[in-house]
Parts: sequence; structure tokens; C-alpha cells
Amino acid sequence: MATKTANAAPALSFPRPIFAALSPHPFLQAHLSSQGQAKPPRANGRTAADFRTPSIKTGALTHCHGSAVVRVGGTSVVCGVRGEILRGEDVQTADVEVSAGNGEGDDTAEISGLRLLVPNVELSTGSTPLHIPGNAPSGYAQTLVTRLRSLLLSTRLIRARDLRILYTPPGVADEMEEEDSVPEVEIKGYWVLYIDTVFISLDGNALDAAWIAILAALASTRLPKAYFDEELEIVVCSDTPSEAQKLELRGLPIPSTFAVFEGQFEQEGEEYDGEESWVLNDPDAFEESVCREMVCVVVDGSEGMNKMAVKRIEKSGGGVVGKDIMKVLVKRSAERWQIVQGVLKEVE
Amino acid sequence: MNTDRRRINGPSGGTSAPLFVQAVKDVGYLQSLRPERTRGPNELRTICKLLQTSIVPSASGSAYLEIPMSRSTTTPTTLIKPSSALKLVCSIQGPKPLPRSVPYSPSLVLTTTVKFAPFASRTRRGYIRDAVERDLGVHLETALRGVIIGERWPKSGVEVVVTVLEGDEDGWWGDDELGAKGGGWGVLNVLAGCITVSSAAIADAGIDCVDIVSGGVAAIIRNPGSKKGNEVVRVLDPCFADHKDIVAACAVGYLAGRDEITEAWTKGNVGARGNELMEGATHAAVGSLSVLKEALLEAVEAKYQGQATVGKLSAKKTETTEDVDMSG
Repeated sequence: MATKTANAAPALSFPRPIFAALSPHPFLQAHLSSQGQAKPPRANGRTAADFRTPSIKTGALTHCHGSAVVRVGGTSVVCGVRGEILRGEDVQTADVEVSAGNGEGDDTAEISGLRLLVPNVELSTGSTPLHIPGNAPSGYAQTLVTRLRSLLLSTRLIRARDLRILYTPPGVADEMEEEDSVPEVEIKGYWVLYIDTVFISLDGNALDAAWIAILAALASTRLPKAYFDEELEIVVCSDTPSEAQKLELRGLPIPSTFAVFEGQFEQEGEEYDGEESWVLNDPDAFEESVCREMVCVVVDGSEGMNKMAVKRIEKSGGGVVGKDIMKVLVKRSAERWQIVQGVLKEVE
Repeated sequence: MNTDRRRINGPSGGTSAPLFVQAVKDVGYLQSLRPERTRGPNELRTICKLLQTSIVPSASGSAYLEIPMSRSTTTPTTLIKPSSALKLVCSIQGPKPLPRSVPYSPSLVLTTTVKFAPFASRTRRGYIRDAVERDLGVHLETALRGVIIGERWPKSGVEVVVTVLEGDEDGWWGDDELGAKGGGWGVLNVLAGCITVSSAAIADAGIDCVDIVSGGVAAIIRNPGSKKGNEVVRVLDPCFADHKDIVAACAVGYLAGRDEITEAWTKGNVGARGNELMEGATHAAVGSLSVLKEALLEAVEAKYQGQATVGKLSAKKTETTEDVDMSG
């Protein structure tokens, strides 16, 4: 509309990018409330319920035990997982109850107490004009990394037993055969996973992209076989690739982020029969800048589609999304889960 | 280790990188892993098709450069990686007006930042910029300052940000295990890569330049295979992990069209062979320039092909509707 008239004469309309920059809110509203279409497109060409499909590549980084490059539309993220060894004598077990068993019990306290997972994000790579390098991490970056960490811990994605480095003293093992006693297993150390996520470019929805990258990187992680060497009295690793171990992830939680766009209607007397607010799936940077209310739903359908579990719901900034809309959003997240899971399966 | 309260920190006791037992116990096994240069002394590593522009939509210009590992084994017998690849991303923010608080500047204010990702090297790097990264930033700025025609953007600033996703190494990792010192050679390769990738990004951003600058590295190495035992050879585009004994190395930022050097960084004992070394580095720079030109040409073609089809469509539309005055 605007582009056509701009050709002809210096009319009272702007080309699209200028309209978007000058008055972003009316620009998006004009798009969403355009009449005559069943599903009016957003400024980026998607409809309100469209997600961007991620593309994933794993194993690109040389010096990592697991890595992934994820592209979701204009957002691209590199995630590298690097394992380092926390020596047994450096473990401060004062406030953490540690059991060496292979049990499936609640190991969150062990992982969070010992800080075995160290996720971090870097946004200041010129990925967006808002994050200029040379400054301390912005509030946004800190919020993002805290959310990612709490998601990592609360979904109990990583098993502590994959990270423990165990050692059975030989003397005890011999006795066991004779006396049938429980072998005394010592924890000689832990793998600490440094999960570093670097944003190459950021076009909205940082959390989803970062989390998918972390998931793909963790799924591709192969930790070398680590054991306690009696001769050297330190924890060493074997460099044989066939002995390297995969991490066994618990489930496959996938977040979906939604932004709520509230229309502004100045003439109160005028009758308006359309919608007054729109829930936009997977917002891009422009939409994030004009939306206040954000919803993030984390679902996990790895136990079967009928048992789709809601792992987390985060909502902030407004009151448009109520009980009914939330139901729709959870449903949309479940559909999204299937798509992302399919992409993740392909790269494995 | 100092703690950074704005980031997530690891265990307070500190952690150590995994230690591979075969490499510690068996020196012979360790030596068997030593990589060797398989290219001729004047042969460059191939970066063909691994230079891309316009990868960051929100930046005015961006580029990605990858120089793959010199050898790729399909079935690795060890988890220890023989050497490193070089992977760089550059994005350019601006030119944009300087904030009011900054004093007047008649020309473009160039800010360059080089940052290694935590996973860029064999040992994990921190998030806070260290001395090497600042040093690289200053060298990159010198290389670019001479190329950009800054007078065309008074009162403006531009940010050139290079992220090193994977950096070249100072030497073979096994030498570190054996206690030899690294000479900091790897930064030269990183600098040459930074110059090439930022040059591509600057062209992508459409910032006026006098010429295209490209980076190149040459080194003088002691050749252990020679008869005399200490004969020195000049090699272009060295992968420092391949060489045991490096005498000197030089990185340049070179303008091939004007035959000018905007930046030269030499390390080691050059001796009387300074000219030869510098000349070698410029040869390497010309090599990367040809790739750079190809990538830029491709990007321009792709851009204008898109515009040409759009133009045709709109032309058709005007034909079918009615005559429109196209002037003005």
C-alpha cells in the first residue's frame, strides 16, 4: 500500500521501513487488523500462529565435547558444551547430600549445589544494535541466562550419574566376591559442563533459540571416559572415541514464546468489531519491541503425545491471556514441540 | 579465579580440563599424533566457499569466514583434536550518529572489538576481554583505518565486532604438555582472518573504502627434514600447529590494488629476511583477496538479481494498468 504511492509522487505516505521505524505500534496494528483476509499476516509475513522452523547443525566446533548451531529465522545461535573435571578433593560436600548410587532419585540438589552445570550466554557480539560489546552483560542477558539455568535445573534434564566419576578401590572389590558385601564406591570427581551460548544474530525470541541450541548440543555431547588412575592419583581420561559416553537426557522439554500485541483504539465512540489484541507466536525483534505481555510455555511430549506434560509457564507484563487463551497456547506449544522434536531427531 | 556476579560461575574449587592418560604416560604415542604440513611452502589453505556475507540481518554488514582444519580424518582414532580451524564472525553496527556527549569528530569514529568465544581454544576462555583480545582489536583498527574513507561520515561512529568462534593455535598442543612455551603465534593467523572478514563485512555494509584490504600470514620455520638440520624455509599461510620450530612470522593487511600495507605485525627473530617474510605475507593476502572478491561479487549478484526480478514485476504491473510517468 505504502510502497505503491511512494513511487508516484511525494504523497503523504512513507515506505514500509520508515513507517515501521517512525510508528511501530500502528504499523503492526495496521497489518494485523487488515480486513478482507481470513488470517492477516504480520509485518514479517507470518500469520499470528506461525512459528519459525529451526534448522540445526551439530558438531561444528573442534574444542567442544558437544556443539550445535541453530538458526531460527533471523536468530542464529552457537552453543558449545565443554566438560571439565571437578576434582573430588575440591568438592565442598558440606551442604550437599551425595550418594554414589545409580538411583533415579532427585539429583537436582547435587547438580545445583555443586554447580555442575554452568550455562552462560553472550549477546554482545554485534548480534543486535541494542547490545554493544565492551559493556557488562545487560539486564536482559542476565535474565535470559537465569531463565535458562532454572529451566535446565527444574526440568532435571541432566542426570547426576552421567557426571559422576566413580572409583572402586580394588581391595574392597576382591572382598565383595567372597563376602557378598556392597562395594564401597567413591566419587573421585565430577564432570562440570560449561554450556556457552553465543548469539551470532538476534532477531527476537532469544530463549527458544538458545534452549534449542543447548538441547541439541547436549544431545550431541560425548564425554571421554574418565577414571581415577591409581598410579598418578588423579582423574584421567581415555582418548579412545569408542569409549566416550553420551549424556542420557531426561525428556525433551521445548519452550514456545508468545507475545501479546494490544491494539490501541483512540476513537472510543467508534464501533470496532474486530479483535483488540493478538497473540503472536515466536515474536521477532520488531514485535518484541512493541509488545509488553509475554508468555512462555515449556512442554514435554517425550512420554507420548497424549501425555504431553507442561513443565513451566511464564507470563509477564499484562492481563490479556486468561484461562481460555492459555489453553490455546498450550495446544500451540504442543504442536510446536512435535515440529522441533522432528528437527532434533534428524540431526542426531 | 575471580567470580563474575553478572554471569553463572563454575564450582568455586575450580575445574581442570580433561587430561588424556595416553598422552601423559606414553611420549611416543604423543609424538605420533603430531601433525605435519602437507601443503607445499607456497600453498594456501583453501577458504573457497567458506566466506559468506549478510548473515546478521540486524547489522548493517556482516560476514563469516571459515578456514577448515588442514586435515580431516573420517574415522578419528583419538578424541584429541590434532589442530584447530579458524572460524570468525564479523558484524558491523553503523555508521550511526555519535551521541551528543561525544566531542565533534570530522570523520568516522571506528571502534573495533575482537572477542574470543569461551569455546574458541583448547583451554576455556573467559567472558571478560583479556590483553590479547585488546591487542588484536587495536591491530585490526590500524588495518581498517587506512582503508575507510572516514571524511564521508562526519560526526558518526561505526562498530566493527569480530567474534572468534574458533581460533588458530600458537603451536602444537603436545608441546604444551611437554613444557615448551607457546610463542603467541596463533594471534597472527587470527589477525589476518579478522582483517579479511571485516573487509568483507565493511563491503557488505556499503562503507566507502579506497580498496579492499585482505590479511595474510607468512612464517619462517626451521625445517627438521632438511639435510643440514637447521635450514630455514619460508612458508605462506602457516598452520602453527604443523611446525615444531618457528623462527619468525608476520601478518599484514594488504591493499592489492594500491600495493600498500596498512598493518604489519611481526613476531620472532626476523633477522635479515624481513623483506622476504613481508613479501610472503602479501602473497598470502593476495590469495585471500581472490576469495574475498569472489564472495563479494556473488553477494552483489544475488542482491541485484533479486532487485532485477522485482523491477521486472513492477514494470509489468505498470504496463498492464496504465502509463505512468517514470521521471523524477
